[in-house]
Amino acid sequence: MDHLQLGAYTFSSRLILGTGKFSSAPVMLEAVKASGAQLVTVALRRFNREQLEDDLFGPLSEIPGITLMPNTSGASTAAEAIKAAHISRELSGSPFIKVEIHPNPQHLMPDPIETMEAARILASEGFLVMPYISPDPVLAKRLEDVGCASVMPLGSAIGSGQGLASAAMLSIIIRESSIPVIVDAGLRAPSEAARAMEMGCSAVLVNSAIAASDNPSEMAAAFRDATEAGRHGFKAGLMAESTEAVATSPLTSFLGEQS
Amino acid sequence: MTLLPDWLTEQSISRELEAMLRNRSPESLETMAARSRAMTLRRFGRTMTLYAPLYLSNYCSSGCAYCGFASDRTTPRRKLDEEEIRREIAAMKQLGIQDILLLTGERTATVGFEYLRRAVEIAAESMQRVTVEAFPMSVEEYRELADCGCTGITIYQETYDSMQYEALHRWGPKKDYLYRLETPERALEGGIKTIGLGVLFGLSDPVTDALMLYRHARHLEKKYWRGGISISFPRIRPQTGGYEPAFEVDDHLLARIILAFRITMPDVELVLSTREKPSFRDGMAGLAITRMSIASRTTVGGYLEGESPDEGQFEISDSRTTEEFCQALRNRRIEPIFKNWEPAYNGPSHQTRPCS
Amino acid sequence: MRLKNRPKEIVQKPLKMITIQLNGEPETLPETSALSDLLAHIGSDGKTVATLVNEQVVRPPQRAVHILMEGDRVEILVFAGGG
Repeated sequence: MDHLQLGAYTFSSRLILGTGKFSSAPVMLEAVKASGAQLVTVALRRFNREQLEDDLFGPLSEIPGITLMPNTSGASTAAEAIKAAHISRELSGSPFIKVEIHPNPQHLMPDPIETMEAARILASEGFLVMPYISPDPVLAKRLEDVGCASVMPLGSAIGSGQGLASAAMLSIIIRESSIPVIVDAGLRAPSEAARAMEMGCSAVLVNSAIAASDNPSEMAAAFRDATEAGRHGFKAGLMAESTEAVATSPLTSFLGEQS
Repeated sequence: MTLLPDWLTEQSISRELEAMLRNRSPESLETMAARSRAMTLRRFGRTMTLYAPLYLSNYCSSGCAYCGFASDRTTPRRKLDEEEIRREIAAMKQLGIQDILLLTGERTATVGFEYLRRAVEIAAESMQRVTVEAFPMSVEEYRELADCGCTGITIYQETYDSMQYEALHRWGPKKDYLYRLETPERALEGGIKTIGLGVLFGLSDPVTDALMLYRHARHLEKKYWRGGISISFPRIRPQTGGYEPAFEVDDHLLARIILAFRITMPDVELVLSTREKPSFRDGMAGLAITRMSIASRTTVGGYLEGESPDEGQFEISDSRTTEEFCQALRNRRIEPIFKNWEPAYNGPSHQTRPCS
Repeated sequence: MRLKNRPKEIVQKPLKMITIQLNGEPETLPETSALSDLLAHIGSDGKTVATLVNEQVVRPPQRAVHILMEGDRVEILVFAGGG
């Protein structure tokens, strides 16, 4: 069987769902079910007695086969992310932690230096560290070296819907990485998830594209199918592209000459 | 039976390369050449880095059936002393060479690590880049060589076919397939910056050897991602001892293999030596190859004393002088490069190991 | 004697109040309240929450015996939606 392997955990689904930005908790829960996702992200928030439906732990835990991956959103330094990870582990009992550190709340670009530091410490503490990063191939290898369970480069800026704007860098990361590469952020259309999977990504993480759709459940199903289709395409092996036209004067006519 | 690691045998890793090597149509070769030429031009520009080999010694304790220096050959044995090394290097400098490959046979009582270390030190005094193609060493020995100015280690598996490997390496330390296979990793751990891999095409099925060579290179690229890799494409040539290659590798197949490596490994240095004839070297220069040897002598002491015809490790096919060869490159609008990096950058790599 | 003293205990003790910081906002509680009393008071008992007092995690078994003091900074956290 073809499974996504993260630490000692195996998942048959290669679509990871983010649970933010939905119109309501019930809508989100329906989308999670329709997506077939087995790994979903959640964020730590202060309890609010006026908004009791904020608490997703109970309802998500009732969906069979779901593992929670808390994120560290809101953290702008390694120290804050580490603290959030410790609290999240208390709450979820899950070793997964999506390390997400953005010092600037406007564009939400991940800080590579703080991320590296947090990942190194959390991995040594036994977390399955899933760092959200800019598509930087060297950073991806450095994170692999310190024991991350995967790397999660962005396809394009978070919530931008610009798809795989970073495809060229992503393909280098995929080629060089020995751990799963998961495209996180920026995907807008299911076809982009399929393309990411065809390129050889191990999984995709989708949130905004589903949450912001007119019909989140149907969009979740579309991403489920697209992710699977792309995976099949990758495994089967894409036919080679014919890139350059054949030169008019042959390039290989020297072969077989005597001297 | 040698138990091979998964990264060497997993066929899905080399699927794209395999498709290119199994297709033998002339049209596909021409298409590959166009693609490879464009990729080479994009990544390396119109340049060719040039080096020359210096055979320090032909003493050898191994019994490689295909090699003119095997220990059962009647070839007279000799090693250069320090003074001779200096003189040979001076003669090479006269030819314009600044990038040197130091060669010895398998480790012997006469030519061991200490001798080699000293030779690296001497070469590093005046050469810009010093690569060693000798015997497998320990991590500590590689670290010492790196500290003395050795920037690259070349170590061919010769063939990845473990049955043929066993048969061809009749005796000596080289018989241990896995120890040799792991040598590039020891060198990288010791701080050596660039590893040269290769097979001697013709010793076994060339397509299988090429696929396994590719997987080996990919494994090293992923695990030792800070290290550099170069790949050579020697094919077996007639030499002392009269070994007849078991598999024929003609120009078309060798070219196909080289082009396919460029397409599947866009960033690695691909190397072609003077074993190949001028037409093949000149033709491949624009298409995929980015590093070549020049003005080579394959006998010990060959630069000062001239080459004696039947004592080299192998027969040279391209005997053009440095000037002639550089002119041929320039005619193809390729710039010969004698010095690629300032030696200030030549120190050992301290972070070749995955950090912990 | 007993009758005379009793109302004093009942009336006076509950009236002594302390102020803590709950999720960054001031909250007034009867003295000697346990953390679990606070959770019941705000309606988060029975939910899965993480609790911190003065930046230290207080695990569920300790909540009933962890008595809150004047000025304590209490954080009650849940999992909400996030990507």
